[in-house]
Amino acid sequence: MASASGEQTSAEYIQHHLTNLVCGKTPDGWTCDHNAVDQMGFLAFHVDSLGWSIFLGLVFVGLFRLGIPKLSTEAPSGIQNFVEMCIEFVNDNVQSIFTSAKNKLIGPMALTVLVWVFLMNLMDLVPVDYLPTLAGQVAEATGMVENSKDAYFKVVPTTDPNITLGMALAVFVLIIFYSIKIKGLKGFLAELTLHPFGKWMMPVNLVLEGVNLIAKPISLGLRLFGNLYAGEMIFILIALMLTFSSISIGLLGVGLHLIWALFHILILALQAFIFMVLTIVYLAMAHETEDH
Amino acid sequence: MNINATLLGQTLAFVIFVAICWKYVWPPIIAIMEEREKRIADGLEAAKKADDSLEEAQLAFDQEMNKAKAEAAEILEKANSRASQIVNDATAKAEAEAEKILSSASKTIENDVNKAKEELRQKMSELIIDTSEKILGDEISPEKHQELLKKAAEEL
Repeated sequence: MASASGEQTSAEYIQHHLTNLVCGKTPDGWTCDHNAVDQMGFLAFHVDSLGWSIFLGLVFVGLFRLGIPKLSTEAPSGIQNFVEMCIEFVNDNVQSIFTSAKNKLIGPMALTVLVWVFLMNLMDLVPVDYLPTLAGQVAEATGMVENSKDAYFKVVPTTDPNITLGMALAVFVLIIFYSIKIKGLKGFLAELTLHPFGKWMMPVNLVLEGVNLIAKPISLGLRLFGNLYAGEMIFILIALMLTFSSISIGLLGVGLHLIWALFHILILALQAFIFMVLTIVYLAMAHETEDH
Repeated sequence: MNINATLLGQTLAFVIFVAICWKYVWPPIIAIMEEREKRIADGLEAAKKADDSLEEAQLAFDQEMNKAKAEAAEILEKANSRASQIVNDATAKAEAEAEKILSSASKTIENDVNKAKEELRQKMSELIIDTSEKILGDEISPEKHQELLKKAAEEL
């Protein structure tokens, strides 16, 4: 895009890639106008992140529904193989972490987290300019914006802290829910206040355990966000090399993009896996009843 | 990069997708996998059972075979002993028969000899008496004759 409109500086190019398409409530009512973003309060949605997130969630559900065979227990084939492999992998992980307690929700949730987060991460491999440029062209053609570079479109949902922290929030709510369900309200409060120093140091214990508790969702969400944001940033910087009018730098950029993309496949899968495992571990900890 | 309602939207989406997965994706696939697992386990068990019964049958077969072999050996032995007994019996019978024949033959011979001796004696007595009559020229009464004959035969 930068090469198309020569006025854009490198900083603007990067900034453009890091800005979401926001629709929110301003004092004048709901709007998707980028210039009004500053007037929006909490009631604003990153339509691009959320849209891609929901779309990829539907892809996950569709893929896995397709993987359900016609009630056949014969040797699986094709997509069913893949689906069963995923489920077996997730199930093994869940069962190795959930040794004593049993919870029928954990498996499906871990599967959703793994596949969904992986799909969202995978969007990072789409070259950074493709979808935003397409979105800009569509927006210009439909008259939503006057100039395509005024259309903002951030594709990878997991580079948006709202998305990662949103999932972490759901996990956090589940942690508290199961803590109270399994240990009772008293047991949960006791866990928060009676460790590690005994009951005479209750305030200190509460601070320590409170930080411990709050740190779980924060670290869970920010870890994923940080890794993907950094990866996306590097993709943007590499893409920036292609905007220079030098063939050698451009070729170097192509090579670097390839190398980083290959390496990034590892990070994508790994971060999805880590998110899943930590979700399982945190919930397993919520199910632990014995004192330590 | 500000935090806004997107976060809650994503939380809601998360809950919905987890619920969908929980209700409609996970259970049918897990059920099928478990069923297949069970079928494989059943198959393995059946194979093991078949193996066991084969072993059992082999064992029973071996037992029967050994029994039959032992029986056959016994029968053979019995037959052998019976055969040798028959041979022995026959030999003994033949020997006895031979002895009998031999003894009866020797008896007959003895009888014949005795008979011949008797006849000879008779003839001799008759001859002596006849000769004596002629010499004496005297007729001896038949009674006397007989008495003399007897006497002579006894003396001889």
